[in-house]
Amino acid sequence: MGTAPAQRSPLRWHNLGTVVGFEFFRTTKKPRFWIATLAIPLVTAIVFALIFVSNSSTSASADAQKNAALAFVYTDGSGIIPEAAAQAAGGARAADPAQAVADVKSGRVDAYFAYPADPAAESVKVYGADRGVFANGTYEAVAKQLLMVAAQADIGSPQLTAAASGNVRVDTETYRGGAASGGFGAAVPPLMFLVLFYVMVILLSNQMLNSTLEEKENRVTEMILTTLNPTTLIMGKIISLLLVGLVQISVFLAPIIIGFVFFRDRLSLPDVDLSDVVFEPGPLLVGALLLLGGFLLFTAVLGAIGAVMPNAKEAGVVFGPLMALIFVPFYAISLILSDPTSPIVQAFTYFPLSAPVTAMLRNGFGTLGPVESVIVIAELFIVGILMLRFSVHLFRYGSIQYTGKLSLTKTLRRGRREMAGS
Amino acid sequence: MTAGGAAREPLVHIEDFRMDFGDHTVIKDLSFDVRAGETFGFLGSNGSGKTTTLRALLGIYQPTAGTLHIGGKSFEPTDGARLGYLPEERGLYKKEPVLDVMVYFGRLKGLGKAQARAWSLDYLERVQLADKATSNLDKLSGGQQQKIQLGVTIMNDPELLILDEPTKGFDPVNRRLLMDIIEEQKLAGATVIMVTHQMEEVERLCDRVILLKDGTSRAYGTVTDVQEQFGGTVYRVGYDGVLPRSALYDVVRNTGGYAELAPRPGADQAAVLRELVTSGTAITSFTTARVSLEEIFIRVYGEQHQTVEA
Repeated sequence: MGTAPAQRSPLRWHNLGTVVGFEFFRTTKKPRFWIATLAIPLVTAIVFALIFVSNSSTSASADAQKNAALAFVYTDGSGIIPEAAAQAAGGARAADPAQAVADVKSGRVDAYFAYPADPAAESVKVYGADRGVFANGTYEAVAKQLLMVAAQADIGSPQLTAAASGNVRVDTETYRGGAASGGFGAAVPPLMFLVLFYVMVILLSNQMLNSTLEEKENRVTEMILTTLNPTTLIMGKIISLLLVGLVQISVFLAPIIIGFVFFRDRLSLPDVDLSDVVFEPGPLLVGALLLLGGFLLFTAVLGAIGAVMPNAKEAGVVFGPLMALIFVPFYAISLILSDPTSPIVQAFTYFPLSAPVTAMLRNGFGTLGPVESVIVIAELFIVGILMLRFSVHLFRYGSIQYTGKLSLTKTLRRGRREMAGS
Repeated sequence: MTAGGAAREPLVHIEDFRMDFGDHTVIKDLSFDVRAGETFGFLGSNGSGKTTTLRALLGIYQPTAGTLHIGGKSFEPTDGARLGYLPEERGLYKKEPVLDVMVYFGRLKGLGKAQARAWSLDYLERVQLADKATSNLDKLSGGQQQKIQLGVTIMNDPELLILDEPTKGFDPVNRRLLMDIIEEQKLAGATVIMVTHQMEEVERLCDRVILLKDGTSRAYGTVTDVQEQFGGTVYRVGYDGVLPRSALYDVVRNTGGYAELAPRPGADQAAVLRELVTSGTAITSFTTARVSLEEIFIRVYGEQHQTVEA
């Protein structure tokens, strides 16, 4: 106990690393963190397992159903249903519609289809024995299929039939600034930053809020402030939260990636053609900067709330509306995508709290121009840094006001005086 | 903390310090020094500005005016490696294991991880809490948490130890531990600044003191100097009958049969005794003693209470 520290490293950076390490490990060492973090991939894995088992059994029953013929009768007011096709599908013409319905009710036939005189204007009536919600869809499918066969027979051209039924593939190539743009495939990578932002804010905002509140609630602030600059403390907390968020996202993604790579067919996962995905450096860079700027701004705001409010309960009152402001652009998503120049979209783009989500959406879909990108990124970083400084100032004074809510007016007045005196 | 100015200035130098909170002035004009190696008592009633002064000294508050230096310059958190500060409002991360919290603070004070861990384990052994190293702090009793708090305060063997009402809320066992620790730190050469209301501790431990009232210094110097400023000597008198009023002395305390008299300037022991005897009062005992700091404290802050009551 009597030995003095042998070597004292430059404390500023040393302490940033110490705070990051302490905050990161104390979060990730807790069992409840892993319970919460693993719950989502566990649920995902369970759902995948259920799909896997279910697909195996439905595959077998689908094979069985494929071979089982549907016994139905039909009446054809339009006169377009080819009788041979109907017979091949297991159908027989009915003479009396009322009798046909009675036969369905009694179980003598599986279904009765009543084709009207004008199928384009009137609906086809289908009567069937109940086989459950999903299996009942077979009746409608067979009824439509018969109409399709009738149309094919009448048109006499598979190509025209495909065109008439809308069953054609369209490959679109668009150009921006004289060069081919990536289309929807180019929107996916930058939109991943939006997903990351959404997940990080949802998962980590509460932790950030409680993190600064904790210093106050535990009366630990004064001891901290004599060893640590408040900026270093708050930066350390933000960095550690970022790391915690990355760990959580990795854990969430792991089962999805494993499922996609190794069990895609058995899990009926959509066959994503990654060759369609285009990685354009510009939107990717803008997306990354928007993510960083947005994260900085929100964590700084949450730090400020934590410094001002005396406890988590009161902080929650401000926290709810803040979260609503972050995600309010999602309610106007169709407007953001269809009319990015509208005043409401412009307001969402430049209002700091709604800017990250709006700008990331527009960046993904290619409607955020270079000038707008620069302005929004600059705004997020400038407002974020100012908010961080304000948050540090509030922390310095607010976190030693242990019992009450900090008066913003008094604190700002003190801040101005300090700046004038410095 | 050791800077170029250290050769010219005492370890702690406060000059013309003023602190306003809005329209309210907490410290009007305060100047004092704390010399390296001494134990300094910082005294005053509740709300007199002691904690505010310490917070301003440590950079937690920005002073309205004045100079507050430690080691010749304003304190910065990077100087924390040589400081031990036990604040009045104290606590630690309650949901974290004891050892983790101690190592964290050790690291913040510049110790290596292994060094902080080894020190913490030694300390926990010393205060009989070795079995609690992996327990969360909130699982410890209040007294046990106080021991951890003390450990965190001194784990870097600070050159300057600032204790704001260190015995507040401490049980007698921990108070004893605290006193032992202060003694050890003094012997190791640390400078100690102590805010306390325990006057007997001040008389026992402190080399010099300052008495703060209404944001200004009311007395400042060695304990003996301060006692001299407030009369220095009292006469403790046992008597039967009625204690007479006199121009030679003030009655500091009178409990009926026992009184403490503070002589007025020019009045010596013989004159006071003669006055008592000639008044017809039966004197049963008469001794001379120094006025205690507690009496001075009561005299200074008693005036305040009387003013408030009036």
